[in-house]
Amino acid sequence: MNELQKLYERIIQRVNINLRELNFDTEPYSTGIIQPQQMDKFYAFYGITTGHPLNLVFENSGLAGSYFLGKCRISNSLLYKSDIRGDELKRKGDLFKYQNFAIDLNDDESIDIRTSALAKTLVHNHSHDPETPEVFFIRDTLAMDYANIHGSPTDGAFLGPFATVDLTTVQDSVIGTYSYIQAGEISHMRIDPGTIWVNAPDQFNFYYRHDPDLLKKYATVTPGERPRGMIFDFIEEREEAFQRLFDAVNVDVIESVPKTASLDRYAVVLPKTTIADNVLISQRAYLEDSYIGKGSNAQENCYIIHSKLEGYNVTAHGAKIIESDLERDVFVGFNSFLLGKEGARLHVGQGCIVMPHTIVDIDEPLHIPKDHLVWGIIRNNADLEKNSISFDALKAEKTAFNKGNLHFEGNGYLFVKAFKDRIDHILDANGAFFDGANNTGHAQRNQNLSLNTIQPFQFGAMKGLYPNITIEL
Amino acid sequence: MENICVKDLMVPISEYATVVVGTSLIDAVLALEAAQEAYCASKYEHRAILVLDDNKAVIGKVGQLRILKAIETRYDLGCDVEKLSQFKFSDQYIADKCEQYRLEGPILDQDSFRATANKKVEEFMQRPTPGEFVSKESSLDMAIHKLVAGTHLSLLVTRKEEIVGVLRIGDVFASVFHEMRKREGELET
Repeated sequence: MNELQKLYERIIQRVNINLRELNFDTEPYSTGIIQPQQMDKFYAFYGITTGHPLNLVFENSGLAGSYFLGKCRISNSLLYKSDIRGDELKRKGDLFKYQNFAIDLNDDESIDIRTSALAKTLVHNHSHDPETPEVFFIRDTLAMDYANIHGSPTDGAFLGPFATVDLTTVQDSVIGTYSYIQAGEISHMRIDPGTIWVNAPDQFNFYYRHDPDLLKKYATVTPGERPRGMIFDFIEEREEAFQRLFDAVNVDVIESVPKTASLDRYAVVLPKTTIADNVLISQRAYLEDSYIGKGSNAQENCYIIHSKLEGYNVTAHGAKIIESDLERDVFVGFNSFLLGKEGARLHVGQGCIVMPHTIVDIDEPLHIPKDHLVWGIIRNNADLEKNSISFDALKAEKTAFNKGNLHFEGNGYLFVKAFKDRIDHILDANGAFFDGANNTGHAQRNQNLSLNTIQPFQFGAMKGLYPNITIEL
Repeated sequence: MENICVKDLMVPISEYATVVVGTSLIDAVLALEAAQEAYCASKYEHRAILVLDDNKAVIGKVGQLRILKAIETRYDLGCDVEKLSQFKFSDQYIADKCEQYRLEGPILDQDSFRATANKKVEEFMQRPTPGEFVSKESSLDMAIHKLVAGTHLSLLVTRKEEIVGVLRIGDVFASVFHEMRKREGELET
């Protein structure tokens, strides 16, 4: 047994120790997370910019195909094609506001990944844990394909495929396939697959669970097997397009991208795609025959195909938009799967919020009216009626309501406001409102980014692991 | 009262209605009905049956309330409601949802009755808790204490590890009432 395999077994044991009270064994899932024979086949790469601290430490880890930006420390961990994006980490001297506290940062924040295995996982944003404002830690954690760890420190966690933890500190918990959790803090919870939970204490509580039988068609995992389902197949079918980018040292520059926009070198752009001003296209995004209107963004693992985004549209990490027309200011949440068809296009009205982990799969044209919140699995107008509510109706809810499988308690106005404020913040951070001089964001700053590669051991007991490396200014 | 033993009042297990694991709800109801008709040892009706495992050991008890709960399908259908507490919904919200689900559908329509009639006893039986056992040699005082402290309708009577009978609250009450009547004169002030 080589060192990589030994390390993987140690990681699995550590995670199992953390999850022992939940009686959850991660070992049967291990073949679906890291495949040791793949770990020496891909180089890792890191970004150098003038805007972010350069401080990378890699110790006894495998990093195959993974990307690092900002201040990161990776030790005793295995990362496979994961994005560790530290461009939104807090900086020394920043004031981090949490409830009534204004926390002064002693140091630049860093992402600290220890004894963890992450496959095709995105790590982004910054720690929202007021107890550790300078460290965005990920410890004793296993994350399966296309999980998102967004502003969520984890200590003892298993994330199933397409699971998202957002702005939530996670301790000793299991997050099921295609679940989205935004709850501030969770501990010793076992979240069923397809659970969507957004909780802001004393303000609102949104809970929905996908029908487990319906969800299996789109995303599921059986212990001992690789994840499967329609969303997984959709991604795998387009994997080859990315391979060309990762194999080549230099790729052709696409001249038609405006100077105010940013197209990552590791994004796939296929004809005939138009990118307007102030647009941000992140690495591992896939665009084909689409119009990306002014101020819009496509984050990591997004797919936009045969679609038109009118402008100021947020396509959050992992969202997929196919054969759809989105009016201005539409938000499509994490890992949503909007599947229109030729002759059965999806039209989303201005200002709509598509909740994270929503699935639209239609065989006839569908129109979502402006200013609506949508969630769940929507296959026709009847599903849309059951799984949507206008902002006006939601804002009028002051105590509680339930609709289909959705349970909502709290103030609907505050829910809409919280989402709208966050969308505005995302657009601002991404540089959507850049006017040629002011309001710069990722779209403008990321243009000054160069990438370097590092290689794993190709032979011997350390095969697949990387040498210990420190990179700093 | 201390002179009366549990074994003086208990119903021996041989005379108690029993079913085995795997019995359907409808067969359990029939067994309970048959037991009520057959057992005439006291004026109190037979209100529960015991569930035995393959080794004839008592593993649970089914009373009238348990059967009604099993039949009230809407209560069980709110599976999400049971999770709402975990997801930090308020007690008031959960209570409202339970009530809503309860009122939403008829209890004994054709479909729900067919589904619940085939439920297995182990799905809805009451599993004995540690405070629910009493030795057959124990005094009635001890049994009264256990009935009151645990708000049980009956206790399982043991001889060493074996369950040998059931002590019903009705029989205990009748005995206490009889004793009070006997001492009525002494108690008057």
